Amino acid sequence: MNEKLYQIISKVFNVDSSKINDETNPENLEEWDSFNFYVLLDEIENEFDIKFDLDEILNIKKIGDIEKIFVKHGVKAE
Amino acid sequence: MKNEENLAYFLNEAKTIKPRDLGKKLRIAFLASSTINGFEETIRVKCFQKGIDCITYVADYNQYNQEILNQDSGLYQFKPDITFLILDTRHILGELFFSWYSIPYDDRPKIIDTKVREIQNICNTFQKNFDSKLIVTSLQIPNYSPYGINEERTMRSQKEIIYEINNELIKSYKSSNVFIYDFNEFVSKFGEKNIFNFKQFFSGDIKISTEYIPRFVNELMGYVYAISGITKKCIVLDLDNTLWGGVIGEDGFDNIKLGDNPIGRSFIEFQKRLLALNKRGIILAINSKNNFDDAIEVIQKHPNMMLKEDNFACVKINWDDKVVNLQKIAEELNIGLDSMVFFDDDPINQEYVRESLPSVLVVDLPKDSSQYAQIITEMKEFDILKITEEDTKRGAMYLGQKKRKELENKVSDFNEFLKQMNIEVSVQKANSFSIPRISQLTLKTNQFNLTTKRYQEEEVSNFSSSNDKIVECVQVSDKFGDNGITGTYIIEKKNNEEWIIDTFLLSCRIMGRGVEEIMMNQIIEKAKLSGIKRIKGEFIPTAKNKPAENFYEELGFKKENEFWVFNTDKKIKKPEHIKVIKNE
Repeated sequence: MNEKLYQIISKVFNVDSSKINDETNPENLEEWDSFNFYVLLDEIENEFDIKFDLDEILNIKKIGDIEKIFVKHGVKAE
Repeated sequence: MKNEENLAYFLNEAKTIKPRDLGKKLRIAFLASSTINGFEETIRVKCFQKGIDCITYVADYNQYNQEILNQDSGLYQFKPDITFLILDTRHILGELFFSWYSIPYDDRPKIIDTKVREIQNICNTFQKNFDSKLIVTSLQIPNYSPYGINEERTMRSQKEIIYEINNELIKSYKSSNVFIYDFNEFVSKFGEKNIFNFKQFFSGDIKISTEYIPRFVNELMGYVYAISGITKKCIVLDLDNTLWGGVIGEDGFDNIKLGDNPIGRSFIEFQKRLLALNKRGIILAINSKNNFDDAIEVIQKHPNMMLKEDNFACVKINWDDKVVNLQKIAEELNIGLDSMVFFDDDPINQEYVRESLPSVLVVDLPKDSSQYAQIITEMKEFDILKITEEDTKRGAMYLGQKKRKELENKVSDFNEFLKQMNIEVSVQKANSFSIPRISQLTLKTNQFNLTTKRYQEEEVSNFSSSNDKIVECVQVSDKFGDNGITGTYIIEKKNNEEWIIDTFLLSCRIMGRGVEEIMMNQIIEKAKLSGIKRIKGEFIPTAKNKPAENFYEELGFKKENEFWVFNTDKKIKKPEHIKVIKNE
């Protein structure tokens, strides 16, 4: 897991980071909705200095998928 | 004042705030031709932080036509005070956004006409059916043309027609309940590449990117301040490193930075912005720790001072506490601390004032003076609905006020002072010139205000044309100048025996000189002539109207339940030092 990522998710969705894991998705986390997902992406893009492709965004179904994209973009776990 | 927070902050904050229930809530509606999630959360939080209680209504996606045209819609039930209609070029032009040049040249004017009429139709229907202000965003000028460098050489080009649509709309609503917000101002400030995110647009028809929603909503706050009447009236300025670079007490007249060098230019630019605001009606004052003689010499004699001594309504250059000075300035100018903005480069002073006087807006002025001019141009807190003649003349009025004060200090007997003032009060029935000012007075006057009822322009206009109401105002002048329209009253003719004072107020600049008594005299005389026996008035206490608390009693009104009552067969005291001119 990437701790910095979890911190950002916790901040944007306003949930305790203990409630977040790689399997977290809009179904099992009610604070995650279709709109604040974009806000989350803004924060991640700014904090990790990366840009998601549109198809990457559309394929994020759970938090673990973001970490997979990180690997592709060469973002190191912190 | 901090830099803008991000949208995540507003979304989360919006869940936690609870309205304080300070009485009337401002009702804000959003209508749009695209996705506008996040707007209502942001505006609720921003309002809450400024002490404005609001509730919001967001129309369903792209339903603005139905909401306005169908009288059973949620918008009609909501009864908004402010409605934002966020339109965009892609939506209004539809396919023509891409294929404008496939339209034959001769057919193009017709299309412009249709588009303008579509929007006008919505605005006009809205105006007819709602008491709300309507703020419509103008159309964004595209930054691309398939014609490339020939776009500007082409007649009836796409850019040209969008300019034309915008101009037509602006011209149609110069003076009405409809305001056009120049969306291109927002675009040029922050850049299309920032505010428009293709990924968000393709995914969810989001046309203002989530990152820039807080900044966009901030642009809209000017309207909120103006409509709720919580505008800032006065800028209080420090001197050293705020109006000029360096410290006068150490660097001396010749060495402070206020001239043709990089640092000096930044202060000159800042001063020019302040001067322009001053000419528009914002009061300026000085609050500086300095030797008076050193500092005033710069203001009086420095060739590059853009602001002259006469631009300052109140000058406190001394070694007193800055908070005490601010309180004295508020007292002398007779304005509330909550209508003041404080500029001081010293973070310790900023913090001290912020802590001691939380109602003063303390600007988070950075060390870098090159930011000062920009900071003031980004402030929305000075917005008012309409700039009246009184606003543009305010500088001169406060100068008169300073001279009045000097006379008052010179003449030991207050009655003698009043006599020497040669006060003239002209009583006028409300007309199209004075109605905007009367509305402004009801929105802004806090101290000498018996009922503190806030009325928008159209409400005042409706009252003045109604047979059941009297709306009059007074223009006050004296030997130091014209104070403009500074008092007003609204009377409800309840029946053949009784009139009720709905509104009675006088600008705090004028109060205590007998004008308020003259105004009440007018009401009573008028009532007698109409055979009215009783005049009833209420005093509705607020946090600020203590100065008017005993007014009825002093004039001989008698308390009956919650009302103060005056029987018109009684005599009322009338100040002898005021000349009354009636223009009815």
